[in-house]
Amino acid sequence: MKNTTLAFLFVSPALLFLLAILGWPLVQAVILSFQDVGVIGSQGQYVGLANYSAILGGAGFWRALGRSIVWVLGNAVVQTALALATALILNQKFPGVRIARTWVILTWIVPTVVVVIIWRWLLSSSGGMINPLLIQAGIIERPVGFFATRESAMTTLILINSWRWFPFTALMMLAGLTRIPGDLYEAARIDGAGTFQRFKRITWPLLQPTLLVLGVVGTLLSFNVFDVIWLLTAGGPSGATQTLPVLIYDTAFKGYRLSEAATISVLTSILLMGFAFLATRAMTAQEAAR
Amino acid sequence: MKRTFGQALSLYGGLLLIVLLIGLPFWWVITGSIKLPREIIQRVPTMFPESFTLQHFEKLLQASDFPVYLINSMIVASFSTAFTVLLALPAAYAFFRMEFPGRNALYRTILLAYAFPGVVVLIPLYGLFAKVGLIDSPVALVLVNVAFALPFSIWMMRSFLATVPREIEEAAVVDGAPPTTILVRILMPLIAPGIASVAIFAFISSWTEYLFASVLIVSDARRTIPVGFAGIIGQYQIDWGLLLAGATAAIIPVVALFALVGRWFVSGLTDGAVK
Repeated sequence: MKNTTLAFLFVSPALLFLLAILGWPLVQAVILSFQDVGVIGSQGQYVGLANYSAILGGAGFWRALGRSIVWVLGNAVVQTALALATALILNQKFPGVRIARTWVILTWIVPTVVVVIIWRWLLSSSGGMINPLLIQAGIIERPVGFFATRESAMTTLILINSWRWFPFTALMMLAGLTRIPGDLYEAARIDGAGTFQRFKRITWPLLQPTLLVLGVVGTLLSFNVFDVIWLLTAGGPSGATQTLPVLIYDTAFKGYRLSEAATISVLTSILLMGFAFLATRAMTAQEAAR
Repeated sequence: MKRTFGQALSLYGGLLLIVLLIGLPFWWVITGSIKLPREIIQRVPTMFPESFTLQHFEKLLQASDFPVYLINSMIVASFSTAFTVLLALPAAYAFFRMEFPGRNALYRTILLAYAFPGVVVLIPLYGLFAKVGLIDSPVALVLVNVAFALPFSIWMMRSFLATVPREIEEAAVVDGAPPTTILVRILMPLIAPGIASVAIFAFISSWTEYLFASVLIVSDARRTIPVGFAGIIGQYQIDWGLLLAGATAAIIPVVALFALVGRWFVSGLTDGAVK
């Protein structure tokens, strides 16, 4: 048998599977977006671009997009800061470093629903640890409802999601850090560079490619987060945390407007793929320039 | 090299903060699950449990549907894991060890799976599964879980395959061994850590999956842990003791699995990210 034929035999099960479970539904979503299907299973008429003009002309989509951008940026800032500090620490030598590198990812391997229970409980006003701690530290005077106001709900969600994801990001950064040759630090030390100087002149610039890749991957991963938001606030209070994935879910399974949901899906996918395409092109261009 | 006092202080101080940030919430939940109800909802919470009871675990195992959810989750996660490995292994071998036209383009295309929200495919998939009678069936969940674990699994196999010298394969080819034999007899033992990493990733993603399980499964008897649990949270009167016991019980399987092969998973994650 020829090698090429065999290679195709090896990849085709996985490819056909992905085509059936992910590819085909994506095509269906596009078709659905040109129809007027309401409840799942009902028949729809071809309506052309009516859904698109309704959604792009309405406010709901744009508001959810704005929340998604806040969500992604908030997560990026908090996670990058926490992950970079963690990665720098895990890149040192100390007793137990191997164990630390393995178990740091604990928050990421437990089910989302467990993360949700943990934080619902810790933040609750009866028995939760966070309120008493904050009162003791003098930051607040009486117990607060973390999901009660629009701003605090979004902030709290971003912090909880970052808590879940920063160890994963940290390990990715650690991979970039271990690639920086140790001789560079040695040479800098001989030249008399201090800790901060070494970080600024060596670590930070050489970590840029890793940070860029993480920026792209992290943006896509955060953007698509659904379960943490849904299980903690269901998009509330009064829609303050309704990001695009939550809006799609609400439209399809609460509002029974399937075609509208499919339209928002298609628009979201175009946005994300456009972002991924432009980001990868920018990265390749930068690599070529180096 | 020797650390200065300041460097040691920032290293161990930072380490302590990370351990507290990650560990404390788990400590509170696990210790909370053995506290008496009145201690759980105490106004000023206790750091170390002052009471001890197994009543929450008893209730969880005897009076709630948790055992059913647990078995369902186990079944779905086990099948998802097996199929992910079965599909990812030959595909990764072809992608990273063989030449064929369109290889790079195909590899990039499958990674696009993570570029759109899962809910996007959920809507059409619901219709598809309804047509073939897979609504309310664990098979539907296995299919979805495998599809979402597969691209990442193939990506992760790359670094493990890279550790095997090509000479070993070439020697086998010279000896006249067919490629399937090379893969099964020679490569598989060498990349066992990679297979373990893919398996644990597939298991964890299936164990955690909420969105699809919440829509594609209708009857209570077929729910998996995430959805079954979410139902308990939503109830008006929250039984924290029960939830904390359930959370503790839901952590155990993944932590046990991770204790066995977590080391390899992390190395697969970090080595793969470099290339």
